[in-house]
Amino acid sequence: MIEFAQLSYRYPDQPQVCLDQVSLALPAGSFTLVIGPSGSGKSTLLRCLNGLVPHFSGGEVAGSVRIAAYDPIALGPRVMSRHVGMVFQSPEAQFVLERVEDEIAFALEHAAVPREQLRIRVEEVLDLLDLAPLRDRLLTTLSGGERQRVAIAATLALQPEVLVLDEPTSQLDPQSADDVLQALVRLNHDLGLTIVLAEHRSERVLPMVDLVVALDRAGRVVSGHPREILANSPLCPPLITVARAAGWQPLPLSVKEARPFATRQGLAQQDAIAVGKTGEAGRASATGPTRQQRPYLEIRSLEAGYGTTPVLRNLDLTIAAGEITLLMGRNGIGKSTLLKCMIGLLRPRRGEIRIAGHSIAGRDVAAISRELACLPQEPESMLFADTVADELRTTLRNHRLPVNEALIDELLAQLGLSERRERYPRDLSIGERQRVALGAISITRPGGLLLDEPTRGLDYEAKAMLGGLLRQWSREGTAIIVVSHDVEFVAEIADRVLILGQGGLIADGPPWNVLGNSPLFAPQIARIFPGRGWLTASDALQGLQRG
Amino acid sequence: MTPRSLLLVHPVTWTIWLGTTLLTVSLTRNPLYLLLLLFGLTLVAETERPTGRATPLDPIFFAVIAVSFGALFNAATIRYGDTVLVALPASWWLIGGPITLEAVVFGMINGLVLSALVAGFGAFGTAMPISALISLVPRAFYPLAVVMSVAVTYVPLTIRLAGQVREAQQLRGHQVRVWRDGLPLLLPLLIGGLERALQLAEAMAARGFAADPPSNQVRMMLVGGLAALFAGLLLQFAWGQVVAASLTLLIGTGLILWALRESGQQAPRTRYRVYRRGIRDMMVLLGAGLTLIAVLAPWPGRASLAYTPYPTLQMPIFEPLLALALMGLLMPVAVRLGDHYLP
Repeated sequence: MIEFAQLSYRYPDQPQVCLDQVSLALPAGSFTLVIGPSGSGKSTLLRCLNGLVPHFSGGEVAGSVRIAAYDPIALGPRVMSRHVGMVFQSPEAQFVLERVEDEIAFALEHAAVPREQLRIRVEEVLDLLDLAPLRDRLLTTLSGGERQRVAIAATLALQPEVLVLDEPTSQLDPQSADDVLQALVRLNHDLGLTIVLAEHRSERVLPMVDLVVALDRAGRVVSGHPREILANSPLCPPLITVARAAGWQPLPLSVKEARPFATRQGLAQQDAIAVGKTGEAGRASATGPTRQQRPYLEIRSLEAGYGTTPVLRNLDLTIAAGEITLLMGRNGIGKSTLLKCMIGLLRPRRGEIRIAGHSIAGRDVAAISRELACLPQEPESMLFADTVADELRTTLRNHRLPVNEALIDELLAQLGLSERRERYPRDLSIGERQRVALGAISITRPGGLLLDEPTRGLDYEAKAMLGGLLRQWSREGTAIIVVSHDVEFVAEIADRVLILGQGGLIADGPPWNVLGNSPLFAPQIARIFPGRGWLTASDALQGLQRG
Repeated sequence: MTPRSLLLVHPVTWTIWLGTTLLTVSLTRNPLYLLLLLFGLTLVAETERPTGRATPLDPIFFAVIAVSFGALFNAATIRYGDTVLVALPASWWLIGGPITLEAVVFGMINGLVLSALVAGFGAFGTAMPISALISLVPRAFYPLAVVMSVAVTYVPLTIRLAGQVREAQQLRGHQVRVWRDGLPLLLPLLIGGLERALQLAEAMAARGFAADPPSNQVRMMLVGGLAALFAGLLLQFAWGQVVAASLTLLIGTGLILWALRESGQQAPRTRYRVYRRGIRDMMVLLGAGLTLIAVLAPWPGRASLAYTPYPTLQMPIFEPLLALALMGLLMPVAVRLGDHYLP
């Protein structure tokens, strides 16, 4: 169905090739996952399938691509749109109209599909993607997952033979991401649709796919069955890391497949309390500061909301200096509202917030953020200067602090950005841009840091780097509060986990207590080894060595 | 069989309703009728507003601002009227002199006219989905209509992006003190907007929205039409050849219209929704027709549309029959509320 033969591609004005002699074949009806570090050319590879590369991007191409009998490089996206549907990261950036049904019909109208077929096709895709109850809704009133399903439906209405998706779940919470992936599995199983999907968080996709295509930074590609590729890939979820180290064969791709191995080793059913201590002890040695330290942030009887709708009621919370606290909870429950109250962007209706012993009442956002820095969900909104170093200087000037070049150098070194010092921030990778924004807010050396969904769009390597950085700062005494849906990241770095429910906190404790037994928030390792208190691959590997 | 639409009346009916509304508002200076129209049009917008959509501009709030501003501006700049409220020293630049009650009221009426016009457009915009607006556009202008719809869809996105940028800059201590401080707000908004535009362009290309290249014949007709227009203008204004100029302009306009028609024919489109006219359209058209007759027909009550507070402020005349006829513009409310009872 899809065949790449010695395809090489170079972007305009770039010295290196982005794809280097790529040869692979994907059969009709297959579900393929494309993995690779940021900047390895995953998106470029996908865009070759419908001719966006090179027709939209320019550049030099050698070799060939065939989709059934079509040549996308010769035909271009206009013709290929009938055969290859493409869904992008951000659903909002794909919409032209304002209502679900109209948006789905729009591409069909443009393609002059006869009217009698138009209605049938719209109804079919509405049903296929469970969108019929939402047909009259405004797109702005839908959740992220629903919007992404509308984008898929709008693409599928043209009845392409291949559906290509470029990180469609990277901006969604786990529940919405799961909805989208389940819809894709249905399309693949029921319609035999060929699906090619690029995704950073492979843990949730691996059990569904037939093939994996792995790219490296040099633009080279290997492809094969998921077990073959993941046996050697550096980009793998915790489950695969543990399975490879433990020598489990055949390599399990899901928690369900891994459980029998754990049971066979006699590790899955041990006494919860006894083994729970193993995990706790192991993690305590790695985490450093505990909650016994001096309080940094104190929230008392907080009540907040928008208009007449209360979001937070009577919330009490104390965060210690040097503690990494992860705040979780479903979308719209009030996590961002709590963050906004802490930083002064939203005035609480009642209650008090104190930072380092001082109330924030009456202080403006700028003054608070010098003490308690906050990284918003969209770090790009911060970046505007010509160079990375200038971004940091701007913050110092904003706060009327002296521009200390030694301090800037030191922070850039900590952030791993020394070599990028004079680069234009928006030309950097997503992970690097995020670290520039982190530098821009933390150059004032604040006592606390708030991070809102910092792992969105990051690959495993960038996430590990961010985790290491946060751990280093926490050891230096910085209180860190992270809002995240990424349970694997939470399990890696948290000293304490808070779960926000309707109106207030419903769980508060160390990660092995809060996440370990949660059906919704448990990471892969906790699901494979229930009751042992292990949350991460390193917990499990240490435990397996001991056991 | 056509898909169910949230639009209860035909887009053309809505367009006629808007035309009648704008004409009515612009024909009256009577503040009592203007107030009536303002509240009526606000009611139409409110009943047509889809669930979950925020009001982009509250007409009543806008009216408060426009009326206040109109009153202040007129009071400060117009020196006409018998009822002097206060006399400012004549030496004060621009605002010096007597401030009259009549000037204040005249300014308020100006504000009311503007507010009623905004409320009319607001009600129309709330009721008409973008897809229905596009369906009104002739096929030759389809690409332009798509661009307009994208622009409309981008407004709420841009507003949200502006909010994000403002908050993000606040979080790094940014405060606007001088004009240059606006750059950290403007640049990320501009760059972010361009990035989103590129993403949308790419997504649209992937969905087959690449523009059709015009045929050579269409290009030739367009070039010929533009050349004829240019030549016609030269003939008219440079050489004063009125007859020859008119003929050349006519030929140029004809060629351009023909080119547009040909280009529309070459890009076939189908329509998902086919709007049909029915009893609801009849009701809205009857209501609008009643209003139109009342404001255009020569009858004694029509005189009450005119009003001026100068030279001495007087109570405006209120003609109940005319007020009742103006309520014809509220027929969309009746159609929406009584939809269950209509066939």
